[in-house]
Amino acid sequence: MKLNYGVALIVSTLLANAEVVEITKGVPSITVEQDGKKYKIERSQVKNSYLTNTFALTSRPSPPFFIEPFSVSKNVETYGELEVLDFISNKKGIFIDARLENWYKKSAIPASINVPFKVFLTQSDERKKVLKSFGAKEKSSSEFDFSDAKTLLFYCNGAWCGQSPTAINALIDLGYPEEKMKYYRGGMQAWQLLGLTTIVPKEKK
Amino acid sequence: MKKLLILMLILMSANAKSYNKVKITPDISYIYVYHKGKAVKIHRIQDTKNKLTGEYALQYRPSKYIQPIKMHKDIQTIGEVELLTFMKEKANSREGILIDIRSKKEYKRESIPSAINIPAEVIDNKVKLSKIFKILGLTKKKDGSYDTKKALDIAVYCNGLWCDKSSVFIKKLIELGYPAEKILYYRGGFQMWKILGFTTVTNK
Repeated sequence: MKLNYGVALIVSTLLANAEVVEITKGVPSITVEQDGKKYKIERSQVKNSYLTNTFALTSRPSPPFFIEPFSVSKNVETYGELEVLDFISNKKGIFIDARLENWYKKSAIPASINVPFKVFLTQSDERKKVLKSFGAKEKSSSEFDFSDAKTLLFYCNGAWCGQSPTAINALIDLGYPEEKMKYYRGGMQAWQLLGLTTIVPKEKK
Repeated sequence: MKKLLILMLILMSANAKSYNKVKITPDISYIYVYHKGKAVKIHRIQDTKNKLTGEYALQYRPSKYIQPIKMHKDIQTIGEVELLTFMKEKANSREGILIDIRSKKEYKRESIPSAINIPAEVIDNKVKLSKIFKILGLTKKKDGSYDTKKALDIAVYCNGLWCDKSSVFIKKLIELGYPAEKILYYRGGFQMWKILGFTTVTNK
Protein backbone atom coordinates (compact mmCIF):
# COMPACT_ATOMS: atom_id res chain seq x y z
CA MET A 1 0.00 0.00 0.00
CA LYS A 2 3.04 2.29 0.22
CA LEU A 3 2.91 4.99 -2.38
CA ASN A 4 5.94 6.11 -4.19
CA TYR A 5 5.31 8.61 -6.95
CA GLY A 6 8.71 10.08 -7.64
CA VAL A 7 9.29 13.38 -9.22
CA ALA A 8 6.61 14.29 -11.68
CA LEU A 9 7.66 16.17 -14.72
CA ILE A 10 5.62 18.52 -16.74
CA VAL A 11 6.88 18.49 -20.26
CA SER A 12 6.08 21.69 -21.98
CA THR A 13 8.08 21.62 -25.13
CA LEU A 14 6.91 23.90 -27.83
CA LEU A 15 6.09 21.71 -30.75
CA ALA A 16 6.25 22.87 -34.30
CA ASN A 17 3.83 20.16 -35.35
CA ALA A 18 0.36 21.60 -34.88
CA GLU A 19 -1.24 18.18 -35.25
CA VAL A 20 -0.07 17.02 -31.83
CA VAL A 21 -3.08 16.56 -29.57
CA GLU A 22 -2.16 18.41 -26.41
CA ILE A 23 -3.68 18.21 -22.93
CA THR A 24 -3.73 21.99 -22.63
CA LYS A 25 -2.01 24.52 -24.83
CA GLY A 26 1.75 23.88 -24.74
CA VAL A 27 1.40 20.74 -22.58
CA PRO A 28 1.57 17.63 -24.79
CA SER A 29 2.15 15.20 -21.94
CA ILE A 30 2.65 14.82 -18.20
CA THR A 31 4.92 12.28 -16.57
CA VAL A 32 3.93 10.65 -13.29
CA GLU A 33 5.81 8.10 -11.24
CA GLN A 34 4.57 5.18 -9.20
CA ASP A 35 6.65 2.51 -7.48
CA GLY A 36 9.75 3.81 -9.24
CA LYS A 37 8.24 3.50 -12.69
CA LYS A 38 7.53 6.48 -14.88
CA TYR A 39 4.34 6.81 -16.89
CA LYS A 40 3.82 9.33 -19.62
CA ILE A 41 0.23 10.51 -19.80
CA GLU A 42 -0.84 12.03 -23.10
CA ARG A 43 -3.79 12.06 -25.46
CA SER A 44 -4.13 9.69 -28.38
CA GLN A 45 -1.95 10.86 -31.26
CA VAL A 46 -3.40 8.27 -33.62
CA LYS A 47 -5.11 10.11 -36.42
CA ASN A 48 -8.85 9.60 -36.40
CA SER A 49 -8.83 7.28 -33.41
CA TYR A 50 -12.24 6.45 -32.00
CA LEU A 51 -13.34 5.01 -28.68
CA THR A 52 -14.47 1.49 -29.56
CA ASN A 53 -13.94 -0.64 -26.42
CA THR A 54 -16.63 -1.37 -23.82
CA PHE A 55 -16.45 2.24 -22.61
CA ALA A 56 -18.21 3.27 -25.83
CA LEU A 57 -21.33 1.50 -24.48
CA THR A 58 -24.05 4.05 -23.87
CA SER A 59 -26.45 2.04 -21.77
CA ARG A 60 -25.66 -0.04 -18.73
CA PRO A 61 -28.51 -1.92 -17.07
CA SER A 62 -30.12 -0.36 -14.00
CA PRO A 63 -29.87 -1.38 -11.31
CA PRO A 64 -27.01 -1.19 -10.51
CA PHE A 65 -26.07 1.54 -12.98
CA PHE A 66 -27.58 5.04 -12.81
CA ILE A 67 -26.33 8.49 -13.74
CA GLU A 68 -24.54 9.89 -10.72
CA PRO A 69 -25.15 13.48 -9.56
CA PHE A 70 -22.38 15.96 -10.36
CA SER A 71 -21.43 16.17 -6.70
CA VAL A 72 -21.22 13.40 -4.08
CA SER A 73 -21.52 15.74 -1.11
CA LYS A 74 -21.40 19.49 -0.56
CA ASN A 75 -17.77 19.69 0.52
CA VAL A 76 -16.37 16.90 -1.64
CA GLU A 77 -14.95 18.69 -4.66
CA THR A 78 -15.61 17.22 -8.09
CA TYR A 79 -12.56 17.10 -10.35
CA GLY A 80 -12.08 17.08 -14.10
CA GLU A 81 -9.09 15.69 -15.99
CA LEU A 82 -6.83 18.75 -15.53
CA GLU A 83 -7.41 18.69 -11.78
CA VAL A 84 -6.66 14.94 -11.70
CA LEU A 85 -3.40 15.48 -13.61
CA ASP A 86 -2.40 18.30 -11.26
CA PHE A 87 -3.21 16.11 -8.25
CA ILE A 88 -1.14 13.13 -9.38
CA SER A 89 1.79 15.00 -10.89
CA ASN A 90 2.16 17.23 -7.84
CA LYS A 91 1.59 14.35 -5.40
CA LYS A 92 -1.23 16.05 -3.55
CA GLY A 93 -2.51 12.85 -1.99
CA ILE A 94 -3.60 9.29 -2.74
CA PHE A 95 -5.23 8.52 -6.08
CA ILE A 96 -7.72 5.69 -5.59
CA ASP A 97 -9.41 3.48 -8.15
CA ALA A 98 -12.49 2.40 -6.16
CA ARG A 99 -13.60 -0.28 -8.64
CA LEU A 100 -13.67 -3.98 -7.97
CA GLU A 101 -10.33 -5.64 -8.67
CA ASN A 102 -11.36 -7.30 -11.94
CA TRP A 103 -12.04 -3.86 -13.50
CA TYR A 104 -8.77 -2.39 -12.24
CA LYS A 105 -6.68 -5.32 -13.49
CA LYS A 106 -7.92 -4.81 -17.04
CA SER A 107 -7.05 -1.14 -17.33
CA ALA A 108 -6.61 1.85 -15.05
CA ILE A 109 -5.36 5.42 -14.89
CA PRO A 110 -1.59 5.59 -14.22
CA ALA A 111 -0.53 6.35 -10.62
CA SER A 112 -3.76 4.99 -9.14
CA ILE A 113 -3.94 2.30 -6.50
CA ASN A 114 -6.87 -0.07 -6.25
CA VAL A 115 -8.97 0.03 -3.09
CA PRO A 116 -12.28 -1.57 -4.06
CA PHE A 117 -15.25 0.34 -2.58
CA LYS A 118 -16.41 -2.76 -0.70
CA VAL A 119 -13.42 -2.46 1.61
CA PHE A 120 -14.97 0.68 3.12
CA LEU A 121 -18.42 -0.74 3.73
CA THR A 122 -17.85 -3.10 6.64
CA GLN A 123 -15.61 -3.15 9.64
CA SER A 124 -12.60 -5.38 9.06
CA ASP A 125 -8.87 -5.62 9.64
CA GLU A 126 -8.37 -4.77 6.01
CA ARG A 127 -10.35 -1.54 6.36
CA LYS A 128 -8.38 -0.63 9.46
CA LYS A 129 -5.14 -1.20 7.60
CA VAL A 130 -6.30 0.90 4.67
CA LEU A 131 -7.44 3.77 6.89
CA LYS A 132 -4.09 3.75 8.69
CA SER A 133 -2.31 3.90 5.33
CA PHE A 134 -4.37 7.06 4.65
CA GLY A 135 -2.94 8.60 7.84
CA ALA A 136 -5.89 7.96 10.15
CA LYS A 137 -5.11 7.20 13.80
CA GLU A 138 -7.11 4.64 15.71
CA LYS A 139 -8.83 6.15 18.75
CA SER A 140 -10.83 3.11 19.75
CA SER A 141 -11.97 -0.05 18.00
CA SER A 142 -14.53 1.85 15.98
CA GLU A 143 -13.28 5.44 16.03
CA PHE A 144 -10.55 7.17 14.08
CA ASP A 145 -8.78 10.49 14.30
CA PHE A 146 -8.55 11.91 10.79
CA SER A 147 -6.77 15.17 11.60
CA ASP A 148 -3.54 14.05 9.89
CA ALA A 149 -5.28 12.05 7.17
CA LYS A 150 -4.20 12.49 3.59
CA THR A 151 -6.26 13.90 0.74
CA LEU A 152 -7.90 11.19 -1.35
CA LEU A 153 -8.95 11.40 -4.98
CA PHE A 154 -11.44 8.75 -6.16
CA TYR A 155 -12.56 7.58 -9.56
CA CYS A 156 -14.38 4.63 -11.08
CA ASN A 157 -15.90 3.84 -14.46
CA GLY A 158 -17.63 7.12 -15.18
CA ALA A 159 -20.78 9.16 -14.79
CA TRP A 160 -22.85 5.95 -14.61
CA CYS A 161 -20.68 4.29 -11.95
CA GLY A 162 -21.60 4.35 -8.28
CA GLN A 163 -18.49 2.66 -6.92
CA SER A 164 -16.45 5.76 -6.07
CA PRO A 165 -19.45 7.73 -4.69
CA THR A 166 -20.23 4.69 -2.51
CA ALA A 167 -16.66 4.65 -1.20
CA ILE A 168 -16.74 8.40 -0.49
CA ASN A 169 -20.09 8.17 1.30
CA ALA A 170 -18.86 5.29 3.44
CA LEU A 171 -15.81 7.33 4.44
CA ILE A 172 -17.99 10.36 5.25
CA ASP A 173 -19.94 8.08 7.61
CA LEU A 174 -16.68 7.06 9.27
CA GLY A 175 -15.81 10.72 9.83
CA TYR A 176 -13.29 11.25 7.05
CA PRO A 177 -13.32 15.02 6.41
CA GLU A 178 -15.16 15.87 3.18
CA GLU A 179 -12.57 18.53 2.37
CA LYS A 180 -9.97 15.77 2.17
CA MET A 181 -11.84 13.84 -0.51
CA LYS A 182 -12.13 14.60 -4.23
CA TYR A 183 -14.25 12.90 -6.87
CA TYR A 184 -13.28 12.46 -10.51
CA ARG A 185 -16.76 11.82 -11.91
CA GLY A 186 -15.77 11.48 -15.58
CA GLY A 187 -13.80 8.37 -14.63
CA MET A 188 -12.51 5.77 -17.07
CA GLN A 189 -15.11 6.66 -19.68
CA ALA A 190 -14.36 10.39 -20.01
CA TRP A 191 -10.63 9.72 -19.60
CA GLN A 192 -10.60 7.37 -22.59
CA LEU A 193 -13.02 9.46 -24.65
CA LEU A 194 -10.38 12.19 -24.45
CA GLY A 195 -7.82 9.63 -25.60
CA LEU A 196 -5.83 9.87 -22.35
CA THR A 197 -3.31 7.14 -21.47
CA THR A 198 -4.41 4.08 -19.49
CA ILE A 199 -2.25 1.20 -18.26
CA VAL A 200 -2.64 -2.43 -17.32
CA PRO A 201 -1.43 -2.29 -13.69
CA LYS A 202 1.33 -4.65 -12.70
CA GLU A 203 0.46 -7.40 -10.25
CA LYS A 204 1.63 -6.62 -6.73
CA LYS A 205 3.89 -9.31 -5.28
CA MET B 1 -57.94 -17.35 -21.76
CA LYS B 2 -55.36 -16.96 -19.08
CA LYS B 3 -52.57 -17.23 -21.64
CA LEU B 4 -54.18 -14.58 -23.77
CA LEU B 5 -54.45 -12.26 -20.80
CA ILE B 6 -50.77 -12.68 -20.00
CA LEU B 7 -49.87 -12.07 -23.62
CA MET B 8 -51.97 -8.92 -23.63
CA LEU B 9 -50.29 -7.70 -20.48
CA ILE B 10 -46.86 -8.26 -22.00
CA LEU B 11 -47.86 -6.38 -25.13
CA MET B 12 -49.29 -3.54 -23.09
CA SER B 13 -46.19 -3.15 -21.00
CA ALA B 14 -44.07 -3.16 -24.14
CA ASN B 15 -46.25 -0.43 -25.58
CA ALA B 16 -46.11 1.70 -22.47
CA LYS B 17 -42.31 1.92 -22.93
CA SER B 18 -41.33 2.37 -19.35
CA TYR B 19 -37.61 2.83 -20.12
CA ASN B 20 -36.85 0.96 -16.90
CA LYS B 21 -34.10 -1.24 -18.25
CA VAL B 22 -31.64 1.63 -18.46
CA LYS B 23 -32.81 4.37 -16.15
CA ILE B 24 -31.54 7.88 -15.55
CA THR B 25 -31.60 7.81 -11.74
CA PRO B 26 -33.21 5.26 -9.37
CA ASP B 27 -36.34 7.44 -9.38
CA ILE B 28 -36.37 8.72 -12.94
CA SER B 29 -36.71 6.74 -16.17
CA TYR B 30 -37.68 9.63 -18.41
CA ILE B 31 -38.81 13.23 -18.30
CA TYR B 32 -40.84 15.38 -20.68
CA VAL B 33 -39.49 18.63 -22.03
CA TYR B 34 -40.72 21.04 -24.68
CA HIS B 35 -38.76 21.37 -27.86
CA LYS B 36 -40.05 24.00 -30.28
CA GLY B 37 -43.52 23.72 -28.82
CA LYS B 38 -43.70 19.93 -28.89
CA ALA B 39 -43.41 17.58 -25.94
CA VAL B 40 -40.33 15.35 -26.17
CA LYS B 41 -39.63 12.40 -23.89
CA ILE B 42 -36.02 12.29 -22.72
CA HIS B 43 -34.84 8.84 -21.74
CA ARG B 44 -31.79 6.67 -22.33
CA ILE B 45 -31.20 4.17 -25.13
CA GLN B 46 -32.51 0.84 -23.81
CA ASP B 47 -30.27 -1.44 -25.86
CA THR B 48 -27.47 -2.40 -23.48
CA LYS B 49 -25.27 -3.46 -26.39
CA ASN B 50 -25.45 -0.06 -28.08
CA LYS B 51 -22.13 1.71 -28.58
CA LEU B 52 -21.50 5.32 -29.41
CA THR B 53 -20.06 5.60 -32.93
CA GLY B 54 -19.40 8.45 -35.32
CA GLU B 55 -17.99 11.89 -34.70
CA TYR B 56 -18.79 11.98 -30.97
CA ALA B 57 -16.74 8.83 -30.35
CA LEU B 58 -13.71 10.55 -31.87
CA GLN B 59 -10.74 10.85 -29.54
CA TYR B 60 -8.27 12.54 -31.88
CA ARG B 61 -8.89 16.26 -31.55
CA PRO B 62 -5.83 18.41 -32.26
CA SER B 63 -5.89 21.94 -30.81
CA LYS B 64 -8.99 21.15 -28.74
CA TYR B 65 -7.77 21.46 -25.19
CA ILE B 66 -9.27 19.84 -22.11
CA GLN B 67 -11.33 22.37 -20.19
CA PRO B 68 -11.05 22.88 -16.42
CA ILE B 69 -13.90 21.60 -14.26
CA LYS B 70 -14.64 25.16 -13.18
CA MET B 71 -14.63 27.86 -15.83
CA HIS B 72 -15.19 30.80 -13.43
CA LYS B 73 -15.28 30.97 -9.66
CA ASP B 74 -18.92 32.09 -9.56
CA ILE B 75 -20.29 29.74 -12.22
CA GLN B 76 -21.71 26.40 -11.19
CA THR B 77 -20.74 23.37 -13.28
CA ILE B 78 -23.46 20.73 -13.62
CA GLY B 79 -23.89 17.18 -14.86
CA GLU B 80 -26.79 15.43 -16.57
CA VAL B 81 -28.98 14.98 -13.47
CA GLU B 82 -28.79 18.69 -12.67
CA LEU B 83 -29.42 19.58 -16.31
CA LEU B 84 -32.61 17.52 -16.31
CA THR B 85 -33.71 19.27 -13.11
CA PHE B 86 -33.06 22.59 -14.84
CA MET B 87 -35.22 21.52 -17.79
CA LYS B 88 -38.05 20.41 -15.54
CA GLU B 89 -38.01 23.30 -13.12
CA LYS B 90 -36.86 26.17 -15.31
CA ALA B 91 -37.01 25.50 -19.05
CA ASN B 92 -40.43 23.80 -19.01
CA SER B 93 -41.96 26.84 -17.29
CA ARG B 94 -40.03 29.27 -19.49
CA GLU B 95 -38.16 30.66 -16.54
CA GLY B 96 -34.99 29.33 -18.03
CA ILE B 97 -33.39 28.54 -21.37
CA LEU B 98 -30.99 25.79 -22.36
CA ILE B 99 -28.46 27.23 -24.79
CA ASP B 100 -26.58 25.19 -27.39
CA ILE B 101 -23.56 27.31 -28.27
CA ARG B 102 -22.32 25.07 -31.13
CA SER B 103 -22.52 25.98 -34.79
CA LYS B 104 -25.84 26.19 -36.62
CA LYS B 105 -24.84 23.17 -38.71
CA GLU B 106 -24.10 21.01 -35.67
CA TYR B 107 -27.32 22.08 -33.95
CA LYS B 108 -29.42 21.34 -37.02
CA ARG B 109 -28.02 17.86 -37.28
CA GLU B 110 -28.64 16.92 -33.65
CA SER B 111 -29.10 18.61 -30.28
CA ILE B 112 -30.26 18.12 -26.72
CA PRO B 113 -34.08 18.44 -26.57
CA SER B 114 -35.36 21.85 -25.38
CA ALA B 115 -32.15 23.64 -26.39
CA ILE B 116 -32.12 26.75 -28.52
CA ASN B 117 -29.13 27.51 -30.69
CA ILE B 118 -26.99 30.57 -30.14
CA PRO B 119 -23.88 30.00 -32.25
CA ALA B 120 -20.76 31.28 -30.48
CA GLU B 121 -19.98 33.65 -33.36
CA VAL B 122 -22.84 35.98 -32.36
CA ILE B 123 -20.74 37.29 -29.49
CA ASP B 124 -18.94 39.46 -32.02
CA ASN B 125 -22.13 40.63 -33.71
CA LYS B 126 -23.60 43.55 -31.75
CA VAL B 127 -26.98 43.53 -33.48
CA LYS B 128 -27.53 39.80 -33.00
CA LEU B 129 -26.22 39.91 -29.47
CA SER B 130 -28.69 42.59 -28.44
CA LYS B 131 -31.53 40.50 -29.90
CA ILE B 132 -30.38 37.51 -27.89
CA PHE B 133 -30.15 39.58 -24.75
CA LYS B 134 -33.76 40.55 -25.24
CA ILE B 135 -34.73 36.87 -25.38
CA LEU B 136 -32.71 36.29 -22.21
CA GLY B 137 -34.66 39.01 -20.42
CA LEU B 138 -32.15 41.82 -20.44
CA THR B 139 -33.21 45.36 -21.27
CA LYS B 140 -30.90 48.02 -22.57
CA LYS B 141 -30.72 51.13 -20.44
CA LYS B 142 -30.28 54.65 -21.78
CA ASP B 143 -26.58 54.69 -20.99
CA GLY B 144 -26.05 51.56 -23.10
CA SER B 145 -25.61 49.16 -20.19
CA TYR B 146 -28.05 46.35 -19.43
CA ASP B 147 -30.73 45.98 -16.79
CA THR B 148 -30.27 42.41 -15.58
CA LYS B 149 -33.02 42.24 -12.96
CA LYS B 150 -35.23 40.06 -15.13
CA ALA B 151 -32.48 37.95 -16.62
CA LEU B 152 -33.58 34.35 -17.18
CA ASP B 153 -31.78 31.35 -15.76
CA ILE B 154 -29.64 29.73 -18.42
CA ALA B 155 -27.68 26.53 -18.86
CA VAL B 156 -25.00 26.46 -21.55
CA TYR B 157 -23.36 23.55 -23.38
CA CYS B 158 -21.19 22.93 -26.40
CA ASN B 159 -19.42 19.89 -27.83
CA GLY B 160 -17.85 18.46 -24.72
CA LEU B 161 -14.94 18.38 -22.32
CA TRP B 162 -12.56 19.76 -24.97
CA CYS B 163 -14.82 22.56 -26.20
CA ASP B 164 -14.20 26.11 -24.94
CA LYS B 165 -17.15 27.85 -26.61
CA SER B 166 -19.41 27.69 -23.52
CA SER B 167 -16.82 29.26 -21.29
CA VAL B 168 -15.99 32.02 -23.80
CA PHE B 169 -19.71 32.85 -24.09
CA ILE B 170 -20.36 32.71 -20.35
CA LYS B 171 -17.36 34.91 -19.60
CA LYS B 172 -18.66 37.46 -22.10
CA LEU B 173 -22.08 37.42 -20.40
CA ILE B 174 -20.50 37.99 -16.99
CA GLU B 175 -18.47 40.85 -18.43
CA LEU B 176 -21.68 42.45 -19.65
CA GLY B 177 -23.23 42.15 -16.22
CA TYR B 178 -25.28 38.95 -16.51
CA PRO B 179 -25.81 37.62 -12.96
CA ALA B 180 -23.42 34.70 -12.48
CA GLU B 181 -25.85 32.88 -10.19
CA LYS B 182 -28.26 32.58 -13.12
CA ILE B 183 -25.79 30.71 -15.30
CA LEU B 184 -25.08 26.98 -15.29
CA TYR B 185 -22.28 25.30 -17.26
CA TYR B 186 -22.87 21.76 -18.55
CA ARG B 187 -19.24 20.84 -19.17
CA GLY B 188 -19.89 17.30 -20.39
CA GLY B 189 -21.74 18.83 -23.31
CA PHE B 190 -23.13 17.06 -26.31
CA GLN B 191 -20.48 14.34 -26.27
CA MET B 192 -21.24 13.15 -22.73
CA TRP B 193 -24.97 13.44 -23.42
CA LYS B 194 -24.47 11.12 -26.40
CA ILE B 195 -22.22 8.59 -24.67
CA LEU B 196 -24.76 8.21 -21.88
CA GLY B 197 -27.40 7.32 -24.47
CA PHE B 198 -29.74 10.25 -23.86
CA THR B 199 -32.45 11.24 -26.34
CA THR B 200 -31.49 13.78 -28.99
CA VAL B 201 -33.54 15.68 -31.58
CA THR B 202 -32.85 16.93 -35.08
CA ASN B 203 -33.59 20.53 -36.03
CA LYS B 204 -34.16 20.54 -39.76
